[in-house]
Amino acid sequence: MTALFPSPRTRGEGQGVGSPACGAQQPFRLAVPARGRPLTLALSPSPGRGTVAAVLTLIAVAVLTTGCVHVPLPAQAELHRAKTDDGWELALVRYRAEGQPTGLPVVLVHGISANARNMDLDDQHSMARWFAAHGREAWTVSLRGAGESDRPDAAAGRPDGFTFDDYWRHDLPAVIATVKRVSGAPAVDYAGHSMGGMVLYAYLSQGGQGINAAATLGSPTRLDWGTGLELMLHSFARGLIGRKAMVPSSLGAHLIAPFQTLVDDGLFQRFFINPQSTDLRSWQRLVAYGTSDVSGGVALQLVTAVDQGRFQSLEGDLDFHRDMAKITTPVLVVAAKLDRVALTPAVKDGYRALGGPKEWLLITRANGARGEYGHMDLVIGDRAGDEVWKPVLDFFNRHPRATEP
Amino acid sequence: MGALVAVLLVAAPAQVQVSHRRVLAADGAALALYRYAPPGEGATRPPVLLLPDLGFSRLVFDLYGEGLARWLSARGFLVYVGEVRGQGRAEPGGSLQAIATLDVPALVAAVQQDRPGPVDLLVQGYAGTLALAASGPGVRRVVAINTPVALEVPSRLVEQFLGEGGRFSDLGSSPEGALAFDLLFAMGARFPAHVLEALRLRAAKDLSASAAAGLLGWMRTGDLALGDGTSVASRLRAFDRPTLQLLALADGFASPELCSTLREVSKAKVTLATFSRFEDSEDYSHLSILLGTSAAREVFPRIERFLLEEDAL
Repeated sequence: MTALFPSPRTRGEGQGVGSPACGAQQPFRLAVPARGRPLTLALSPSPGRGTVAAVLTLIAVAVLTTGCVHVPLPAQAELHRAKTDDGWELALVRYRAEGQPTGLPVVLVHGISANARNMDLDDQHSMARWFAAHGREAWTVSLRGAGESDRPDAAAGRPDGFTFDDYWRHDLPAVIATVKRVSGAPAVDYAGHSMGGMVLYAYLSQGGQGINAAATLGSPTRLDWGTGLELMLHSFARGLIGRKAMVPSSLGAHLIAPFQTLVDDGLFQRFFINPQSTDLRSWQRLVAYGTSDVSGGVALQLVTAVDQGRFQSLEGDLDFHRDMAKITTPVLVVAAKLDRVALTPAVKDGYRALGGPKEWLLITRANGARGEYGHMDLVIGDRAGDEVWKPVLDFFNRHPRATEP
Repeated sequence: MGALVAVLLVAAPAQVQVSHRRVLAADGAALALYRYAPPGEGATRPPVLLLPDLGFSRLVFDLYGEGLARWLSARGFLVYVGEVRGQGRAEPGGSLQAIATLDVPALVAAVQQDRPGPVDLLVQGYAGTLALAASGPGVRRVVAINTPVALEVPSRLVEQFLGEGGRFSDLGSSPEGALAFDLLFAMGARFPAHVLEALRLRAAKDLSASAAAGLLGWMRTGDLALGDGTSVASRLRAFDRPTLQLLALADGFASPELCSTLREVSKAKVTLATFSRFEDSEDYSHLSILLGTSAAREVFPRIERFLLEEDAL
């Protein structure tokens, strides 16, 4: 074999951002439910006082420790709000294109248990700022219940238990309308990570409009692959997750965040990242401020997808997988070889279901990447700009909006 | 085919008796068949025929006395390992079509002649897909390890490797070649060093020009005509044997995303088992799923359970 591919850089080399001085940062904000609502724990056996004290102490230590890693948004980030047709306000962040815009605005949508900061972690690991620097106005969004977007509040008309269907039915139309209105663009390009890509698939499969071209990154459309995790979800999740509860994943994330740079092969790192591609400090930041609670309704809908091997609406009346054949929006489907969350067969399943035009991109050293990628490496990886986002931008540029007749 | 020409090669600690014989395909090509006989000859269970992937030999199932062949045999299975043309001690050269239409049927028939009745198949990779396409009524159930069903070129590296003739000997001759071998067949795998070295230098064998070109063409077009009016795809649509499909996430040669549609395109009841480092000790690669440090603990028991399941029938 002739010259192949360079070795992956070892962890700690290269462009990783050093942890900024603690005093220079904004105070760490624990993402407890806003507006005075009590924190809802899905798993809530009655704890004793000693347990409560221990938990509170752990929370305090976690907050103090991880506060140092929080990186605030830069001055050029414009904050916007979008109002959905069912009364929720969503937080959007706009980055204007540097120089002459070269195409449509790009909307970036995060995955489950996440928020907008997944797509905008810090100056060196920001898909949004990368697109802006390459001539595309970029928008991040926090879906309902995540980041700075509205949380459930029954008194304000925002009931508990929202589902995946609410994302594509209500959130996405509001986001697209807001971006079009503010930017003046006739349509948007779209990049969705993980569940953010599934939301796109559902939206387009049901006739959603306003998206010119799209890319999905690590977005599965089947979740039944015979893994032990599936068995666990099947056996326990239904009993533990209440539709009306919020799964407190952000609290869990805050608790483990302080320890995420201590080992490079812990359980969570192993599930989400590959240290060949993501510096542990970036991972720690993602854990610290890129995580949000999960609605029980969303979790149950996805558990049902695991059980039934189907990608469908909660009631089962809409078969997104089948209807993806109707999609005519160009879609680039990106998978990571060592994605242990969205396995490559699960992502490929979505590619096969799409009507087209479509393209497949597997990120792996065997295709020229300098390291293998896991699930989160696609959006926070140290080389993701060159190895993932650039092919996405190239795809968008190959599919410019057709001139109106 | 006559009685086995028994050549005692090794008597393993578990008293597994290993013998070898030649099997002739219908066109006269010489194939190789190894027999791993457990104490009692595994009389109560169907025999299991193991077939390695293109480019590899029996050694992927039995290296230094370790591997799936002896593991199953030590648990009471009568195990055979076949080598089709181009592999190990079988005749060199040959086309992919000949493997599907001549070699696999000849090996299954040879096993049935030795032990009348249905045969269980355990197959891997692209040769495994050809074996699925060749599976007739004599096959009871199948364990398919990363057997591509929806073929396409999995990566630029695979395309380069096959485009240059599928020469495994190049993969052991330079650091670049060793890296390519690692990415295709052993990514992230946990092997004792001498095992990986032996796999690269001893178990692998250059593909014939016909096989390399045929495999690349199969990937590019998505199907392989078999010369008898059928194709691999058309035969897979009729495939109906109960199947355990194992998916190794880090397989860079027969990538798992090419393998996962068997349950959709065939009539078979397919049970999937996917390995990843989140739950297992490694993601498993093309070779480590058979010979990795933890394969006997994490992979082989799944295979045994499936072979013993009553409801898979």
